[in-house]
Amino acid sequence: MPEPLKNQPAKRLMGVLGKGASYAVMGIFAFMTIAPLVWLILSSFKSTTEFRLNRVGLPHIWTTINYPGAWKLGEFSQLIGNSFIYTLGATLGIIFFSILAGFAFAKIKSRATPILYGSFVLGILLSIQSLMVPLFIEVSQLDRLLTDLFRVLGILKNGQVNFFYDSRFGVLLIYVGSGLPTAIYLSTEYIKGIPYALVEAARIDGATYFKIFRWLILPMSVPIATTVAILNITGLWNEFALINILVSRTQLKSLPLGVFKFTSNLTSDWGKQFAALVIGMAPMLLFYIGFRKQITKGVAAGAVKG
Amino acid sequence: MARTIHGRSEERLAYWTMVLPAVLLYLLVLGFPIIISIILSVSNYNGGKMFGGEPWKIVGFQQFQRLIRDSFFWAALKNNIYIVLVSIFGQLPLGFIFAYLIYRRIVKFGDFWQGVLYMPNIISVIVIGIMWAIIFSPNGLIAEIMNRLYAGSISHQITQIFNAAGGFNITDDVVRQLIHASGPVAGQTFTDPPTELKQFILTYDPTKLELLKHDLVNLLGTKWTPTFLSKPDVAMLPVLFVILWCWTGLYLILFLANMQKIDVQIIEAARIDGASEGQVMSRVVLPSLSGVIVNAAILCIAGSLNSFALVFAMTRGGPARVTELLSIYMYDAAFFGTPNYPLANAIALSIVLLSMVLIVITKLVEKRYGGRE
Repeated sequence: MPEPLKNQPAKRLMGVLGKGASYAVMGIFAFMTIAPLVWLILSSFKSTTEFRLNRVGLPHIWTTINYPGAWKLGEFSQLIGNSFIYTLGATLGIIFFSILAGFAFAKIKSRATPILYGSFVLGILLSIQSLMVPLFIEVSQLDRLLTDLFRVLGILKNGQVNFFYDSRFGVLLIYVGSGLPTAIYLSTEYIKGIPYALVEAARIDGATYFKIFRWLILPMSVPIATTVAILNITGLWNEFALINILVSRTQLKSLPLGVFKFTSNLTSDWGKQFAALVIGMAPMLLFYIGFRKQITKGVAAGAVKG
Repeated sequence: MARTIHGRSEERLAYWTMVLPAVLLYLLVLGFPIIISIILSVSNYNGGKMFGGEPWKIVGFQQFQRLIRDSFFWAALKNNIYIVLVSIFGQLPLGFIFAYLIYRRIVKFGDFWQGVLYMPNIISVIVIGIMWAIIFSPNGLIAEIMNRLYAGSISHQITQIFNAAGGFNITDDVVRQLIHASGPVAGQTFTDPPTELKQFILTYDPTKLELLKHDLVNLLGTKWTPTFLSKPDVAMLPVLFVILWCWTGLYLILFLANMQKIDVQIIEAARIDGASEGQVMSRVVLPSLSGVIVNAAILCIAGSLNSFALVFAMTRGGPARVTELLSIYMYDAAFFGTPNYPLANAIALSIVLLSMVLIVITKLVEKRYGGRE
């Protein structure tokens, strides 16, 4: 074929130019992604005085002096502990309840399934953040109702019940609930792929559904449980909008709330502010460095259609 | 027979026991809040005890009427729409192109690029918002880099002027050149630049020329103060930039994963038949990803309308509410100053309804132009 041959040198030139342009665009975007983060980390190792004089370059004197101050001021030892509780607790809750419901939706026949499952799938697209005001009213009113109830029953003499609002349990409930729609969709679709013959065989052998869940479905669902965990861990750890309105006591706050405090209080103490920001991003950055492959795969698998 | 041991009732009990916890949690976070927002948005509830406290009642659609006339509501909605547009026409195409470059191995080290570009997604948006607010502030990275460029340029000019004059040799001509080099700055610093600047220079020890040069750079160099986040007419641009910066990597990963499912032989065949990379991208890869792209667009819309924390941390809706979003307006109505719960709930309901409308539109577009999945 003479036609393509004639075009060959021009094509090759275009190829080289295209490659160059591709590397340039990719490089610029990657540089823009990483430069601010590197700058942030470098700045956290400068004293506030040095930052005033040297805002861009490497620190002349590397110092970690900002970290103990920021750590103490932000009460980060308390907050990081809370973040661990919320993230682990909610992730385990989401996994357990979504596989449990997913098993029922996928393998037990019921006329309720289309409506229930359908409404979960619909919920994937509705973000709970836009409902934070009614959610706040709901949790505080539930606590007031419980307080009244306990007073009538004589369990409570005075004081207030903090069961939903301003409690770890309340935060966990809301977090698990908000993670369920996507997780239930993923689990149900996954469990549908487990052959029904396995369930039937166990039924004929006399196993109850709970035994089948415990000894057959749960072990077989480890891959989807991993995906659900990966999908939720970073989001839960970084969650701000909901916990911001759900708790008011410092003992219950999570890491992002602690970092946010540094916007208003300390605008002139640059060193501490940078250290707080680095403390805020370090855990997930390490998690990412450790599990990058799994995270990427989980995200690609979890971005589901509604 | 096994069948008789486990009857229908056992099956039904098992089903409901397994489904009920999830359903209750779902009602708690989504069902009841939606009902609450519907009821309270047409009420005069003021935050007291809902049951058995101060009485409150349904008063009608006043809040919605108020919102329709409220210029802040429309401004916030406009900002939300900007975010939707940047997401759909910025994040998605960029993510797609990056994914294609990596997928076709047009750029090497695909793993590395992917790893870097996804990084902002795993960092707390609070950290990202504060970080960019500092970078765009007058004390930030951009101001510093620009000022260094200005300082470098004027320092170079001052050195040249003194070299030409042969050292510490202060003539009126040298002073005039210095004033010229400084641009408008000398005129702003001194009322009568030629005489005052000359007097100032003559206070220096003639042997300390370097010190003089250094001080002149500081005195005469242009100071550049970025006003990105403080000027109302442009404050939304940095916010949109950060949104683009933050989430492009997510769509890169999404598209790349789905490209890798395409049969390689189809692409090889197209290439052998003489199709260029651009043609392969638009005629082979793009159509086979159309379903994924629609899903990504839906994800984008849902996320964009609900964006809150990033902008809340970066600008908190300021200056003068020009970067306010619907969610921030709602937050302020409920938690800032005197709470107005009916208004906040009306806004919440508008966000929910708006997301639904936009998602339905996207779905219809998909049906009309045929997504393949």
